[in-house]
Amino acid sequence: MLSLNKIAKCLLSNSRTFQTSAVLKHDTMFNHRDTKEDNLDIKFEFSDENKKRIDAILAIYPEGHKRAAMIPLLDLAQRQHGWLPISAMHKVADVLDLPKMRVYEVATFYTMFMRKPTGKYHLQVCTTTPCWLRGSDDVISCLKKKLDIGVGETSKDGQWTLSEVECLGACVNAPMMQVNDDYFEDLTTKDVESIIDDLKNGKTPTPGPRSSRYASEPMDGLTSLKEEPYGPGFKVRPDL
Amino acid sequence: MFRTTLQRTVPCIRLVVAPGQFRLNSNAPAPPSKLEVFIDDKKVLVDPGTTVLQAAALAGVEIPRFCYHERLAVAGNCRMCLVEVERSPKPVAACAMPVMNGWKIKTNSELTRKAREGVMEFLLMNHPLDCPICDQGGECDLQDQSMAFGSDRSRFVDIDYSGKRAVEDKDIGPLVKTIMTRCIHCTRCIRFASEVAGVDDLGTTGRGSDMQVGTYIEKMFLSELSGNVIDLCPVGALTSKPYSFSARPWETRKTDSVDVLDALGSNIVVSTRAGDVMRILPRLNEDINEEWLSDKSRFSYDGLKRQRLITPLVKDNKGNLVPVEWEDALVATSRALINANGNIVGVSGGLSDAESMIALKDLLNRLGSEQLYTEEPFPMTGSGTDFRSSYILNSSISGLEQADLVLLIGTNPRYEAPLLNTRIRKSYVHNDLEIALLGPKVDLSYDYEYLGESPAILKDLAEKRHAFYAKLSKAKRPVIILGAQQFEREDGAILLAQAQQLSQELNKNADKGWKILNVLQQVAGQVAALDLGYKPYNNLPAAKVLYLLGADNESLTKCKPAGTTVIYQGHHGDAGAAIADIVLPGAAYTEKQATYVNTEGRAQQTLMAVQPPGMARSDWKIIRAISEFVGVKLPYDTLNEVRDRLTDVCPSMTRYGDLEPANYLVQASDLAKDLSSQTVSTPLNVKQITLEDFYMTDSISRSSPTMAKCIQAVRKQKESKYYESRA
Amino acid sequence: MAAREASKCATKIVRPLLSSDKSEAKKRVLNLYKTYYRQIPLMLFDRHLPVSKEECQIKLKEEFLKNKHITDVRVIDMLVIKGQMLLQEIVTKWAQDCHIMTLFKDTVEPKPNDFLSKFVNNNDSQ
Repeated sequence: MLSLNKIAKCLLSNSRTFQTSAVLKHDTMFNHRDTKEDNLDIKFEFSDENKKRIDAILAIYPEGHKRAAMIPLLDLAQRQHGWLPISAMHKVADVLDLPKMRVYEVATFYTMFMRKPTGKYHLQVCTTTPCWLRGSDDVISCLKKKLDIGVGETSKDGQWTLSEVECLGACVNAPMMQVNDDYFEDLTTKDVESIIDDLKNGKTPTPGPRSSRYASEPMDGLTSLKEEPYGPGFKVRPDL
Repeated sequence: MFRTTLQRTVPCIRLVVAPGQFRLNSNAPAPPSKLEVFIDDKKVLVDPGTTVLQAAALAGVEIPRFCYHERLAVAGNCRMCLVEVERSPKPVAACAMPVMNGWKIKTNSELTRKAREGVMEFLLMNHPLDCPICDQGGECDLQDQSMAFGSDRSRFVDIDYSGKRAVEDKDIGPLVKTIMTRCIHCTRCIRFASEVAGVDDLGTTGRGSDMQVGTYIEKMFLSELSGNVIDLCPVGALTSKPYSFSARPWETRKTDSVDVLDALGSNIVVSTRAGDVMRILPRLNEDINEEWLSDKSRFSYDGLKRQRLITPLVKDNKGNLVPVEWEDALVATSRALINANGNIVGVSGGLSDAESMIALKDLLNRLGSEQLYTEEPFPMTGSGTDFRSSYILNSSISGLEQADLVLLIGTNPRYEAPLLNTRIRKSYVHNDLEIALLGPKVDLSYDYEYLGESPAILKDLAEKRHAFYAKLSKAKRPVIILGAQQFEREDGAILLAQAQQLSQELNKNADKGWKILNVLQQVAGQVAALDLGYKPYNNLPAAKVLYLLGADNESLTKCKPAGTTVIYQGHHGDAGAAIADIVLPGAAYTEKQATYVNTEGRAQQTLMAVQPPGMARSDWKIIRAISEFVGVKLPYDTLNEVRDRLTDVCPSMTRYGDLEPANYLVQASDLAKDLSSQTVSTPLNVKQITLEDFYMTDSISRSSPTMAKCIQAVRKQKESKYYESRA
Repeated sequence: MAAREASKCATKIVRPLLSSDKSEAKKRVLNLYKTYYRQIPLMLFDRHLPVSKEECQIKLKEEFLKNKHITDVRVIDMLVIKGQMLLQEIVTKWAQDCHIMTLFKDTVEPKPNDFLSKFVNNNDSQ
C-alpha cells in the first residue's frame, strides 16, 4: 500500500504541472518606502542635551575617522526618537559629513536599529534552543494574549512591540526577554504578566532573574566552590 | 567624502610608521627591491606590495575574479580568486593578498580547483538560471567562469522549502536596467560610483542573504558616467535599458571607432547588426578614456536613426523642400555655387570630419572664396589661431595625472568632457591634486577651491594680486584649463590673453617643459578645422551662398539672411537643414571612415560600421561630386587620395593615434600682451551646469529619444524630496 | 640559355587532350552539337522554361558559333569537355532552370568606374 502511495506521489510530482520554488521572505525590508510615520517631511533634530553628547562622542575619534562615530550617533538618534526614521539617518549623515548611502548601509546592517515605528516598550523574547526548551513559547503566547499583538507587530497605542530574537546570551537564566535595555530572566507566565502590568501602571519592574536567584548560580544553592576563596599565595612555593 | 578620509588618515599613518622605519633603516639591511615568487613553479620577480593576482598576471596566469577590477579599490568579497599558497593553511584571496618573498603559489592545484568550485556553487545557488532571457548572456563573467571553473551540478536542490533568493528590482534611471536577483554582490558598481563617478548613491543594504545592492531610497543614479556600471557588472544585474532584448553579443559585428559627441575623442566599439547600430561600448585607450565612456557617447546612438536626412532636398517654387535625385541636387547646388561668383561662405559644424573640411576648403578656394569658418568662435586678436598651442589641450588628458594644481576657468569639465573630469578626479583621489574653479559654481564630483565667477579675478591672478596666486606660484606642475565656450563672449580674447599671461608667470617656477595653458574644446571638429586653416566664426560676412557643413549653431541659423542661398550638408534634420534651400544628406560618424582631431591634438579615425541610410553619402564625396558639376574637379577620387591631400596640408592629421604637441605658448602670449591689461566684468557663465544640460548638445543627441528620457528623469528626480544638489 | 630553353618548350609537341588531329576534334564538336540538339525537346518537356524549341536551337547554334574562331585542338577539346559537363548537368537536372536561363540573359552592364557614376549609384563602400 505504502509503495503504491509512493509511486502515485512520484507520478504526480513528475507530471507537467506548474511548479514554482518556495518563496523566501524576510520580515524586514531593506528598501525605504515613504510611510505616514517615516518620510522626509517629518523632521528630526537632535535635542540640545543630545547635541552635547554628540560633541562628546565625536571627541573620542581622531580627525579623519569621524565616521566611526556613526553607530553611536545612530543609537543616540534611536534613543531620542524611539526608532530610527529616515530623517534621523540624514541628520547623522549631515553631522558626520558623509554621503547618505553610507549611513543607510550601517543602519540596515544592524538589526538593533529599528527602521520601523516601534513601541515605547520593545519586548524581545529569546526563542533560541535553551530558552525554547525552558518554555519561551509560553512567554510568547502569554505576551500575545496579554497585549493582543502578534510577533513583529506594534500595538495600536504605540506602547508595545513584540519581537522574537535569537540568543541574547542569557541561556543560564532561560527563558528570558529583553524590555528595552533590561533583561528579565527565569520567566514564568505569571512573571511576564506582572512585568507587563507594572509597565502599564508606570512602575519600573526590577530587571534580572525572576526566581530566587541573584544571578546565574544554581537554583538549589551552590554545589561546588563552597569554601572560602583561597587568598593570595595559595600553593605557591614559599621562596616566591 | 572618499578622499577626505584617506587624506586625513595619512598623518596618523606617518606618525605610527615613521619611528619603525627609522629603526629599520639604521639597523637592518634595506628590504629587497624585488620579491621572488613562484607561480605554478614559474619564477617571477615583482615589486613589494604586488598582490598575488597581479603577480600571476605577470606570469601569464589569469586568476578568475568577479569583484576585483584594476581601476577600482580592492574589495575581496567574491572569493573567486582563492588560490593555494604553499604552507598556508587556507586558500588565500589572490586579489587582496600582497605576495611575500619566496611564496609558492599554486593556481591549478586540487585545493584551488575545489575552492573555486565551491565559490561557484554558492554563487549559483542564489543566482537565477535565466540566462536565456538575460541580456548579459554570451558576455557574462559568471557564465564563462562557471563553465571554466564550476561544478557540473549543485548540491543546493532544496528550492521547495527554503526558497531561492529574490530581490526587488531598482529603478535607477532610464539607462541602467536592474535585475537585482542576478546580483552576486561584487560591489563593483558601488566602488565605481564612489571612486570614479564621485556619486555616492549606490551601496549595500541589509545583511546576510538579505543583503542587496541598491540606493535604499528610490532614487535615480544621477551620474554622467552611469553607463559604465553596465560594463563593470560581471553578471546581468545591471544591463543597458535601451539595448535590452535587442541583440546578442555573438550576432553583432564590432567596429572600432571614435566618439565625436564631445571633444575628447573617446575610443569606442560600435556593435552593429544588419546595418543597425545596436550599441556603443568603450574601447580601452589609456591616453584618452581609459575604459570608461560618458552616457551621451554611449547611449545617444538611437539618435542616429531618427531625424535623419536620407535624400537630397531642394526647395521648389512654393518654398517647400522636396526630395530629389542626387543628379538634380548636384545640379542645383552647382548652379547656386557658380551664380555666387565666388561670394561663398562655408561654415563647418562641430561634427565635421577633416576629410570633408579639406574637400570643402579646396572646392571653395577653387571657386575663388577664402571665407571658410568654423561654427565655434575663437579670438582672432593677438596670434589668433596661428599657433596651435593656443587652441589645444596642451598638457594632454593623461598628462593631467602628473599635475599638482588645476585651475579651471569658465568650464564645467564634468559635463563638457566627462572623461577629462574623471582624470582630474582620479588625480584628486590618488595624488592629492588641488583644484580651483573660476566661473559659476558647479558640482564637479570633487572638492575645489572656489575663486568666484568674476573674470576680474583672472586679471588679478595674472597680475599676482589675488590671494590664490601664492598657491599657484608654488605649484610645480600647474594646469590652467580654459573652457572654449568663453570665446563666445565678446571679451573672450582678453580672457585668453590673461590666461596666457598667467601661465607665462607660472612657467617661471614650474618644471621645465611643463605646459600650463590648456583650452578645452567643446566639439569634435574644431581642432581639425583650425588645423586646416578654417577661421573661427566670430562675425559672418554676407554672402550669396552659405554652405553649411553640418553647422547647426543657433546664432547661425536663427535668422536666415535674405538673398542668400543656404546649402546644408549634414546628417540630421536639425536647425541648419530647416533654413536651407538645398539639403545634401551626409553620413554620421558611424557611417564613414573619417578623421577627427581631439582637443589635445590627437588625430584619430572612425571606421565605417554601417552604411549611410537612404541616399546619404560620405561627406567628402558629396563635395567631390559637386566639384565635378561645378567644373573645378577636385584631384581625389578615393579616401587615400583625400588623406594624401590632408597630409600635405597638415602632416599630423594622418598619424592616427599620435599626440601632436604644440609649442608656441610664449610667442602667443607675447603677441596678446596688450590685451591682457584690459578689464572685463561680466560674470563667467557656462552652458552645461546641471546634469540635464549634459544630455543634449548636438544634432545627434538632440534627436535621441534615450537622451530625452534622461532629461525627463533628471527633472523628475529634481522634484523628488530625496534629490540633493551639491553644487 | 634561357631563350633556348623557351624555344625548346615552344616547339615541343604537346600531349593531345582527346583528339589527335583537327578532323577528330571537329567530329567531337559535331557529336556534342547533335547530342545537345536532341536533348532540347527532352529538356523542354522536363522543365518549365519560358523559351520555345526554336529559340533554344538558335541559342545552341549561337553558343557554338561563339567559339568558331578557335583552331587549337587542345582548346577545342577542353571546350568540348566543358560542354559535356554542362550537358550532363542539364540532363541530370543538377543545373536548375535559372542556370539554363542565364544563357538567355542580355549582356550585363559594366560596373561604373568613374567617381561620379559610382557616387550616384552608391556602389562603392568607401
